[in-house]
Amino acid sequence: MATLGDLDRRWIFLAMGLLVVGMYAAGVKADLPSSPYVDSFYRTVEELPPRSIVLLSADFDPASAAELLPMYTGVIHHLLARKLRIVNTATWPAAPPYIRQEFARIAPLYGAVYGEDWVELGFKPGDDVAMGIIAQSLQNAFPTESRDGRSYADVPLLREVGAGMQGIDLLVTMSAGYPGILEWIAQVGGRYDVPIVCGTTAVQTPDIFAFYPRQVRGFLGAATGATQYLQLVDEVTTDAGVTAIKEENQRRMQVQSWGHVLIIGLIVLGNVIYFRGKRAPR
Amino acid sequence: MKREIPIALTVLCGLAIVWSFFTPSPYADAVNSELNTWALVFFSVAFLLGIGNLVRISLKQIAAGHADAVFKVVLLVVLFGYLGVGLLEIHQQRLGLFGSSEGRVVGLGGHGERALRDWIYRKSFVPLQATMFSLLAFYIASAAFRAFRARSLESTLLLAAGTIVMLGQVPLGDQLTGGLASRALAFLMVHVNGAGQTAIIIGATLGVLATGLRIVLGIERSYLSD
Repeated sequence: MATLGDLDRRWIFLAMGLLVVGMYAAGVKADLPSSPYVDSFYRTVEELPPRSIVLLSADFDPASAAELLPMYTGVIHHLLARKLRIVNTATWPAAPPYIRQEFARIAPLYGAVYGEDWVELGFKPGDDVAMGIIAQSLQNAFPTESRDGRSYADVPLLREVGAGMQGIDLLVTMSAGYPGILEWIAQVGGRYDVPIVCGTTAVQTPDIFAFYPRQVRGFLGAATGATQYLQLVDEVTTDAGVTAIKEENQRRMQVQSWGHVLIIGLIVLGNVIYFRGKRAPR
Repeated sequence: MKREIPIALTVLCGLAIVWSFFTPSPYADAVNSELNTWALVFFSVAFLLGIGNLVRISLKQIAAGHADAVFKVVLLVVLFGYLGVGLLEIHQQRLGLFGSSEGRVVGLGGHGERALRDWIYRKSFVPLQATMFSLLAFYIASAAFRAFRARSLESTLLLAAGTIVMLGQVPLGDQLTGGLASRALAFLMVHVNGAGQTAIIIGATLGVLATGLRIVLGIERSYLSD
């Protein structure tokens, strides 16, 4: 036991690495039962009438993309499949390349026209102050759209969005931390009559329970929430891309399952060694 | 006056923001909008100051032959290289620097005028940042073995809660416990965590409110290095 207590941590790294790679190679996947929070997120989108305008904010970067990018992709599919229109912003500087990449791939699948069915406004610096300005006047925050540099008034979709979130029917944020969902709640939820739903990282998810269901109508918590949501979206879209992302996430959840089991095993082993060491005569 | 003018400006701006937040009038909105725009200008200037400071410190270390000098060189090359690519592509887009930007594809896996910038981003920044974050899995496993001990009642409760959350979050947890893990997780998250979070949020908000009031009323002056 004493030898185990002095175990070189590189053995633990090796065990975790082999487990992750092995499980990933095995390709086992499993369906996840949906949670009420994910159902509520999904239902909020489903209840919007066609042609409603959704403000979608990509508030994440590559560090959290493993959790949030599948959600973000699923949301774009879901919104466009429902014939909802998207105004896309970002309050994280590293998010716009993801926005460009995902819309360039997904929008043509649904015949969405740039400027009419979706528009990219790009990154706005200023954290929660920027969110306040976006809510107060989208035109002041973004005098031009970011893809072609067309002025606000020249974009048909933006002409329908007025000051004080007028014309916006739903705010969706993919939130990795600060600034993110908590700041959107303060800047938009507290001042304007716009429902909010969000996707969050595992670290931020516990914060959201205090706001559900009044300030936040529904949320996708980490990779689990993303997988549950993609399962629902896959039923309403015909694109094979959604099925592929869903199955990829289902595989990742199995890998994560065994990773968690290993960590729990290590906690138990560590405590057994600790208590045996305490009882042993000195 | 070095003290009085900043304090007067702080009080004025603070009161204006509070007034505009709670008063639904076009004048209040105009004031709020203007002050927010100033805040954004300061924010952008802070970016420039940050870059300036980073360059100054890095150059000093390079000149002094510091052990990390080579990393500082890499930092500066990447900083100005990526900035240069970005500026070049913006010029290409707005001014047509290299001819028409219509449908132009750089051919490095991206699309449109930002292809090179996006390619660099996808091929370097994304894998680097993802790798850094992925390392957490290894360190958490190691820390779980070495540090997560049931030394007291509080740490035992934390350990039990952590185990339930880890099991309840993944499909295998329910398979192993017959659905008990996700039910226990829901109870913990909604009732225990929800109540705790609400209390923390209310407490923190009251603290922020008190600090804000102290600043707006000119009582708190630590931001002036007092």
